[in-house]
Amino acid sequence: MNLLTVNGLSKQFGARAVLQNVSFSVRRGEVLGLIGPNGAGKTTLFECLAGVLPSDGGALSTNGQRLAPARRKDALFYLPDGLTPWAQQSVNWALGFFERLYAAPVKATELLDALKLEGLRHARIGSLSKGERKRLLLALGLLTPQPLLMLDEPFDGLDLRQTRDVMALLRSQAERGRALMLSIHQLVDAARVCDRLILLSDGRVAGEGTIDELRAQANLSEGGSPEAGLEEIFLALT
Amino acid sequence: MRSLRRLPLLFSKEWRELTVSRAYWLLLLAVGPLVGHGFINAVNLYAEASGVGGGPAALPQGLTPLDGMLAPTFGAYDLAVTLLFPFVAIRLIAAEKESGALKLGLQLPFGVGEMVAAKLLALVAGWIVAWLPGLIAVAMWRAYGGHLYAPETLNLLLGHWLRMLLSAGVAIAAAALAESAASAAIVTLVFTIGTWALDFIAAGRGGWLATVAAYTPTAALRFFERGLLRLSVVFVMSAMALGGLAIAAIWLHTGRKLGARLLRTAVLLGLIAATVWIGSLSRASWDASENRRNSFSRADEAALRQIREPLRVTINLAAEDPRLTDYERGILNKLRRILPRLEVDYAAQSRTGLFEGAEERYGEIWYELGGRKVMNRSTTEPIVVEQLYQLAGIAAPANSDEPVFSGYPLAAHPNGASLVFYALWPLAVISAWGLARHRRR
Repeated sequence: MNLLTVNGLSKQFGARAVLQNVSFSVRRGEVLGLIGPNGAGKTTLFECLAGVLPSDGGALSTNGQRLAPARRKDALFYLPDGLTPWAQQSVNWALGFFERLYAAPVKATELLDALKLEGLRHARIGSLSKGERKRLLLALGLLTPQPLLMLDEPFDGLDLRQTRDVMALLRSQAERGRALMLSIHQLVDAARVCDRLILLSDGRVAGEGTIDELRAQANLSEGGSPEAGLEEIFLALT
Repeated sequence: MRSLRRLPLLFSKEWRELTVSRAYWLLLLAVGPLVGHGFINAVNLYAEASGVGGGPAALPQGLTPLDGMLAPTFGAYDLAVTLLFPFVAIRLIAAEKESGALKLGLQLPFGVGEMVAAKLLALVAGWIVAWLPGLIAVAMWRAYGGHLYAPETLNLLLGHWLRMLLSAGVAIAAAALAESAASAAIVTLVFTIGTWALDFIAAGRGGWLATVAAYTPTAALRFFERGLLRLSVVFVMSAMALGGLAIAAIWLHTGRKLGARLLRTAVLLGLIAATVWIGSLSRASWDASENRRNSFSRADEAALRQIREPLRVTINLAAEDPRLTDYERGILNKLRRILPRLEVDYAAQSRTGLFEGAEERYGEIWYELGGRKVMNRSTTEPIVVEQLYQLAGIAAPANSDEPVFSGYPLAAHPNGASLVFYALWPLAVISAWGLARHRRR
């Protein structure tokens, strides 16, 4: 069942069309990957969906009803990449703030443990490494209650073990019914964690579906590992 | 409703953000010595004027705590709010924009208006702390045996608060509009310098320019420093401060299209302009000064209020002529308060009066009432008032038995003030700064 339907979304920066008639849907409890070459419009798409950037056209709907930009924050939460929010505050404060703000069912202490942030509770956010910051932002995202969580490059800066742990955590969230939409640069990671994928190229949806469905769209024969298949699909469709 | 319950949480976040800002602690650090310097100099000068050490004393009528202590001491806050405070306010917005925290903030369960309001509340709370040196100075003044008159003291404090709110409004709006903190600082500085330039250009020119210039932050504060509470000034300063905050709320909402934001800004600017214009029409004012420096004697006021026709005053004095300054302060400001239909025309063509035309009209002040015209060169209150009585055909009131302000000489030394403001305050600020850094964890 669709949680969110995006229809004909478009965005221009001056004369440059960054998103062109983008349409897709997000299903409840799925991990949906957003892949595409650099400059394909992945981050812009997330920002337009979250309502932090205005789109030039198109509409979002949930449960058959139009989702106006002012109501987006009730339906989805977006975690941008490369943020260092509230750099002078501590990890503990940021987690406590989100926990109290949303009266989250998940406790911050559980996430500290799951994301290996326990030893960093009193550290300044500005002093965290890229990977540590990424894990903190992920914890903040997981404390939000919206049915759709959008993460921009959630594995960027994480080592192999951390990536696997985070993937497991995200999968467990999806099993509880929350939909996750992940923008992922590394196709290997995307193939491992995502149920379905959207391939964005030059601001257009070049393909949408499972790896098998994408393979069919790209007219490629079956076989090989999913990661290798996704690379071929990527090259064929972009 | 849910959002309202969460507001304390939002305020607490903004307060934390303010107290981790180096700019805020530097402001606190600087404000103590600034206030102290103003206070110590003021008390010493006041003591000299009061004849300390057997020296010649000024006329006691001239010795008022408002001019002698309050205005110079709290003048430090004008300096701080002009040159330091905007950076503290800008940081609250710019840091979130630059770090990307704004993108998270816009998705939190608050409206942008609530975000801006919480930032303002944090700034107000921070400014209350910054006022401690001023309040300590007032307490020390009382401890030295100094006099305070509550209405003029509270009026001055109100003026400084409005000044701070205006500064916050401008800085927050600039930070919301500009891409970076540096650009916002430049915008704020341009605003400040622009108002100074307007003050300078409009001085003595009269007409609409002088009317506008009366509401620049510096000029507006002068009314309060003279013990005058003008409703129009309160109205205009409040409207501009709120307008700045509303502009910030419009521009921080990055999810709105540029055209929509421009349209809202244009509508808002129109509303601000209309509000400011309507507010500026108000003639209501209260003389909060103990020595009634902004008023004629009660008997003269009652007599002059009988004038119902428009009074037109044409002044042939240049802007920098000290007689014009005397005339403005001693006559015009008082007349404006009681004659709602007063029109003033500044006829001199130059700033200094040295190079005026040779038609020998320089120095003349013409009064026109109901078709009758009379000229007088005096800028002295009793002579001008007498002239107005003759022109209006009103009998001058009998000599007033109103009590004369006797002044409050005080030959006190600012004992302990240097220690408090130059040593203890900085020490306390540095300790609190360290403690705040430690407790943040």
